[in-house]
Amino acid sequence: MKAPTSHSNRQRAWRQFRQNTPAMVAMVFLTLLTGMALLAPYLANHRPLYAVVGDARIWPAFHPDKTYTLTMADGQTLRLQNDITDWRKVPMERVVWPVITYSPGVNDYNNTGFVAPNDPQFMVDAAGKTVPLSGRLKHQLGTNNTGKDVAAGLIHGARYSLSIGFVAMGIAGFLGILLGAMAGYFGDRQLAMRRGQWLMLVPGLLLGWMYGFYVRRYLLADAAATSPIAGALQLCWSVLIAAGILLLALWAGKWLSRMRFLHHRHFIPVDSLVSRTIEVVHSLPVFILIITVAAITRPSLLHVMVIIGLTSWTSIARLTRAEFLKIRQLDYISAANALGFSSMRIILRHALPNAIAPALVSIAFGIAAAILIESSLSFLGVGVPPGTVTWGSMVNEGRQQFSAWWLVVFPGLLIFTTVTAYNLIGEGLRDAFDPRLGETTS
Amino acid sequence: MGRYILKRILYFIPTLVLISLLAFIISIQAPGDPVDRLLNTSSATGEMLVESELVQQQRMQLRERLGLHLPVFYVSFSSLSQPATLPPALRPDEQQAFRRIVHTMGNNALAGDYYKSLQHLYQLHQDYPATSEVGSSGDSLRSGLQYSAASVKALLQEGNAQRVQDKLQELQNLYTYNIYFKPLQDGMEEVVQSWQKGTTNPSLWRNYIPVIRWHGDNQYHRWLLGDGNWLTGKGSTYQKGWIRGDMGTSYTTQLPVRSVIASRIGWSLFFTFSSVLLAYLISVPIGMKAAAARNSFFDRSSSVLLFLLYSMPAFWVATLLLMNFANPDVIRLFPSSGVAPTGGIPEGSSWWEWLRITLPYLVLPTICYTYAQLAFLSRITRVAALEVLQQDYIRTARAKGLSEGKVLYRHAFRNALLPVITVFANVFPAAIGGSVILETIFTIPGMGRAIIEAIYQEDYPMIVSVFTLTGVLTLCGYLLADILYAMTDPRISWKK
Repeated sequence: MKAPTSHSNRQRAWRQFRQNTPAMVAMVFLTLLTGMALLAPYLANHRPLYAVVGDARIWPAFHPDKTYTLTMADGQTLRLQNDITDWRKVPMERVVWPVITYSPGVNDYNNTGFVAPNDPQFMVDAAGKTVPLSGRLKHQLGTNNTGKDVAAGLIHGARYSLSIGFVAMGIAGFLGILLGAMAGYFGDRQLAMRRGQWLMLVPGLLLGWMYGFYVRRYLLADAAATSPIAGALQLCWSVLIAAGILLLALWAGKWLSRMRFLHHRHFIPVDSLVSRTIEVVHSLPVFILIITVAAITRPSLLHVMVIIGLTSWTSIARLTRAEFLKIRQLDYISAANALGFSSMRIILRHALPNAIAPALVSIAFGIAAAILIESSLSFLGVGVPPGTVTWGSMVNEGRQQFSAWWLVVFPGLLIFTTVTAYNLIGEGLRDAFDPRLGETTS
Repeated sequence: MGRYILKRILYFIPTLVLISLLAFIISIQAPGDPVDRLLNTSSATGEMLVESELVQQQRMQLRERLGLHLPVFYVSFSSLSQPATLPPALRPDEQQAFRRIVHTMGNNALAGDYYKSLQHLYQLHQDYPATSEVGSSGDSLRSGLQYSAASVKALLQEGNAQRVQDKLQELQNLYTYNIYFKPLQDGMEEVVQSWQKGTTNPSLWRNYIPVIRWHGDNQYHRWLLGDGNWLTGKGSTYQKGWIRGDMGTSYTTQLPVRSVIASRIGWSLFFTFSSVLLAYLISVPIGMKAAAARNSFFDRSSSVLLFLLYSMPAFWVATLLLMNFANPDVIRLFPSSGVAPTGGIPEGSSWWEWLRITLPYLVLPTICYTYAQLAFLSRITRVAALEVLQQDYIRTARAKGLSEGKVLYRHAFRNALLPVITVFANVFPAAIGGSVILETIFTIPGMGRAIIEAIYQEDYPMIVSVFTLTGVLTLCGYLLADILYAMTDPRISWKK
């Protein structure tokens, strides 16, 4: 959004943030890390990025499932099925390898049993002779028990850690800001419904659920089983039916409210409802809840993300609510009200931009916490599909074999730096948004 | 004071109810058939022809006593066609299919007839004259019978009308073309008839009539309060209820979950409480000192150090410590796992002896439990102390000529302590959650390790019980924090 003057609070905050060296360093580090995660298949891959075989120029890393039929210099044809080819044995005129010449899930059977970075490493060449690995083809950070490359695991593991942070906090941020804003803005005595509408609300919800979802449950399941699109289509119908019935009920309630007995207005205690919910969710033992749910359901990273998201919105909601409580007293909100703007517009366009700062701080800390939780879970081997190479699971492998320090130190350091970076950014944001900071240093 | 505590306890009731509900939902979502696990039999092997009558009886009794056929909760909202209680003989996967058949027929009674005839047909397989009497073709007959029994079993788990139709057709063909299936033919006839009776004229309108039902006896009720008198627990036959300490039977050890947990909760509580106490003892002086000498070298270096500590994953630190200080190749200062030597502590040893033997085992875990909370606590203390030190009464105290130490620890300390106490509510659950990881790494026989073992062995009653118990313990932590807060802050009046 464009700021009207150069002295806006946001610009002042940004200036403050930029002067915070640790936070800026953390910013740069995380940008690089994100770049690394996005480019992971081209940074660590056992296929060359580019190669010249015979007179053909090929890009194996970009077509993992392709089968190449190539004519060699001596006139022979060479058939290479990219997903099983060991490219190190292919005679290539020119080759550009990725930075790390291994893929994360691939076992190197010549270097099994925890090979240290500076240990001698071997490969079997095209002639069947065992030759030492050298230069770019070495396992730069060692291997694990089954010969998986540690450096490749680190690079690809960044994808899991970062996406857990983003998705979980995306869910938490959405829920927290939405509920916090509503609780703070509406309070307990702002939204009201007529007694008749209250009366019709429960039947509307129940019947909507009944005819929208309950009666159609087998239809929905069958449609979802045939194809995702059919499932989504039927789900849309269900939602439409349910919403229609609810609207109908509310409309009937409005009509009923003309009766004097049902005309009375009752407030919706939005604030109390949200605050109670925050208290309840906040006192759930999150880590145990996650491992319990992960144990019952099929292990999947998505489940872990959703559970973290659904349990960590409380602090964001609390901060946003407090901010909205302050803001709704201000004159410019009254002015917007007087202009007849809808509540939605006031919340989204006027209040939210000024109330978002504490939520952002909380989200930054939340991402750090989510990454810690995810790495702890994969360390325990709970909730992540078996075989997934993550930072946490690598440390766990190192735990089985104390002499394999490279399996503990490198992934651990990466988790530590990533978490520290997010914490530093959270810290930096907090300082930047704190207007008192000009006078007092903390 | 008493009233305040009472009020706080009342506030926690909705959370307790939610935790119990969550635990219950998780427990009924657990895959597999609890009866199978408790009887230690497997239904997946397909050896249905050899199941003895005794096992069947046991299975039936257990099913009825566990109440798996009962409605799930007190209130149910469903259609007129759906029954309140399912036939008790159904397994969990069969229950799903049964509900769908009811939906197809629109009639509970007819669907029940269909299922009864199917079960009868299945029973006929078991009663089939011993295969040895048939003579030479025994082998092919046995495999044919197995196939047929498996098909009937599959029918019991199939809810899709079209697929049921196909399977029935297939079985009918099998029976008419093969003379050996003669003894089963009547049963088959019955199945087909009951299926046709239900599907030719389905009363689908019943699916569209909503019904709200109240169930006094339901699975949640039994899980929470037992199947006897809900208040006194008298007259219960199988489940005494969670609230009376009956947490079910562990699948793996076949022991009551309660006794397993009772034997393990001690170490968890010991490490949680000792580490929280230790963290307070270390971090409060650090925070106070940092606040007193603001921006000094001590202040800056301690906050950077603690900030870094805060971001270190506990499992990493624990592994590094073990790698360096419990590793014969590097330095072996401490034992690498457990809380006591494998031989146990010699009997009749004095408490001093006991301490001397046990202490080395406790050092590394205690460090790991404590360090993460240090940063958080000393930071809170520092901020709180800074706030207090700016107040007028501190200036007055200094103006009186009191020594800096007296100002800090006599005047500022008590008020700075308030926010530090409230975060007890945050520290305590974190310690419990952390115990899962640390107990696994250091092989401490506590609850956290119990839940991880239970997860690996798919021991669901154990998982759910530990979850519920941790929830309750977490709540107790919050309650304790509230009470401590009320006790230290004279400004909070308890009367309201």
